[in-house]
Amino acid sequence: MNILERLGSSARERGSNLLYGLGFFWNVLKETARFFRKSQVGYKVLIMQILFTGYEALAISAVMAVAIGAAINVIGTNLLPQFGQSQLMYTILIIVITRELGPLLTAFVITARSGTAIATQLGGMVVSHEIEAYVAVGLNPISYLVVPRFIGVTASIVILTVYFNIFGLLGSFAVVQVISPMPIGEYLRNLLGTLTVADIVIGLIKAAVFGVIVSVVSTFQGFSVNRASTEVPVAGIRAVGQSFILIILADVILTLVQYA
Amino acid sequence: MPSDERPAAAAVPAVPAIELKAVSAYSAGYQVLSELSVAFPERRTSVVMGGTGSGKSALLKAAAGLLLPGSGSVEFRGVDMARLSRKEEAEFRAKSGFVFQDAALWSDTTILGNVSMPLSLHKPWMGKSDAAEAVRLIMKRLGYDGGMAMRPADLSSGEQKMASIARAVVHDPDIVFMDDPAVGLDEDATEQLFSLIEELESRGKTLIIVTNASEFAYRFADMLGIIRDGRLVAFGPYEETLARAEREPELRLERLKARGIRAARRRRESL
Repeated sequence: MNILERLGSSARERGSNLLYGLGFFWNVLKETARFFRKSQVGYKVLIMQILFTGYEALAISAVMAVAIGAAINVIGTNLLPQFGQSQLMYTILIIVITRELGPLLTAFVITARSGTAIATQLGGMVVSHEIEAYVAVGLNPISYLVVPRFIGVTASIVILTVYFNIFGLLGSFAVVQVISPMPIGEYLRNLLGTLTVADIVIGLIKAAVFGVIVSVVSTFQGFSVNRASTEVPVAGIRAVGQSFILIILADVILTLVQYA
Repeated sequence: MPSDERPAAAAVPAVPAIELKAVSAYSAGYQVLSELSVAFPERRTSVVMGGTGSGKSALLKAAAGLLLPGSGSVEFRGVDMARLSRKEEAEFRAKSGFVFQDAALWSDTTILGNVSMPLSLHKPWMGKSDAAEAVRLIMKRLGYDGGMAMRPADLSSGEQKMASIARAVVHDPDIVFMDDPAVGLDEDATEQLFSLIEELESRGKTLIIVTNASEFAYRFADMLGIIRDGRLVAFGPYEETLARAEREPELRLERLKARGIRAARRRRESL
């Protein structure tokens, strides 16, 4: 096979995978609509997913948010006065944490924790024929296994982003207390005076889009495993890699749209 | 379970329970079935034998709608399974059960959860306690006396297989697909399985068994098939396939011929 044939074959395979992935996403959307219309045994899976993805990630999100909020405040407090722009501190905090880092870092944490877990768990289930067993008893794997993870991960990222924002801004306040103490009322007044509805909405839209990406990519990669257990960690690695790339691309596109 | 006489041949419906028409199928890029056609009759036990890698499991999964054909069609009682509506497919699943070769129990669920799943899906009117009792009875019937709250990983492979068999029949399906059902079972459990199959036969169930163990063929086969390299090289009434084997030694049914003719005669006499 010459180089042109190889390139052609690779392009055809990637194109076919992309179409398959889009078909998978369309099926997930259709089954999600059905999920809420019918009483499903998948509710238990949904609750477990929210517990794992959302509740169990609260601690790491809080630590990260406080640290990031503090770091931004330290940098801003030292840098901005040099340009005579100290008053921009709150604007930078809101834009960086609420619009950008909140959804982005939360999505990265969830990708690393839940994305790999979902891909490897589903991959393992494919290898041990558990997915076929679900089909054999009459459970649709998309509606029973994918949709609860899709909803659970997306909802968790949105909620965790709000949580991240709160802790990020509180972390900043903790640093303010060390550098130049100020009453919390004044800090919150300045902060809320700068915060707009658009900041919150844009952050949440980003979080929801990232949640869709992480959940769909991870479940898709999990189902891509064919038969060998050695494919399972590969699925996990692909889920993380593809999720990161797609999240960053989506972030750039949404930011461009926002400022267009 | 009520025990009726096995229906006479005249009572067998003309439309097969499951029919594969020129089915070719692929798994992980490899062709596992090649232009395979076969009709499994209703209320009869069909046994398809073949060696390792011959395509037995692929045939069974294609017949049960678990492996989508690349070409050809699979019909359930005359209806193309690819065209079944969501409701019709749910009905098919309610009427069928599948025993996997390697148990395929859900590892994150208890034995009770595994075996009772078909009941909660297809007989939701049964209360939890009734479902649990039905599970306990069928597991006891198969010789399992362990805890129902245990996870599959806590059980031996034989016990897992028992749970897999129980899951396939607990909801009283019309058609039971069995993929090497005795693999992993000890002698006592295998006898319990044979007894269960006899009971299912006596109640007019359609059984489709793929195996490399000749014991299933000479004990139960009304229809006997041979699969090799994804092709069905023989399929027909038990005696006819054995007679064919006399003329076509490449079918390699020596062991079955040695022990099976006597069993078949005994079986015929009992009908």
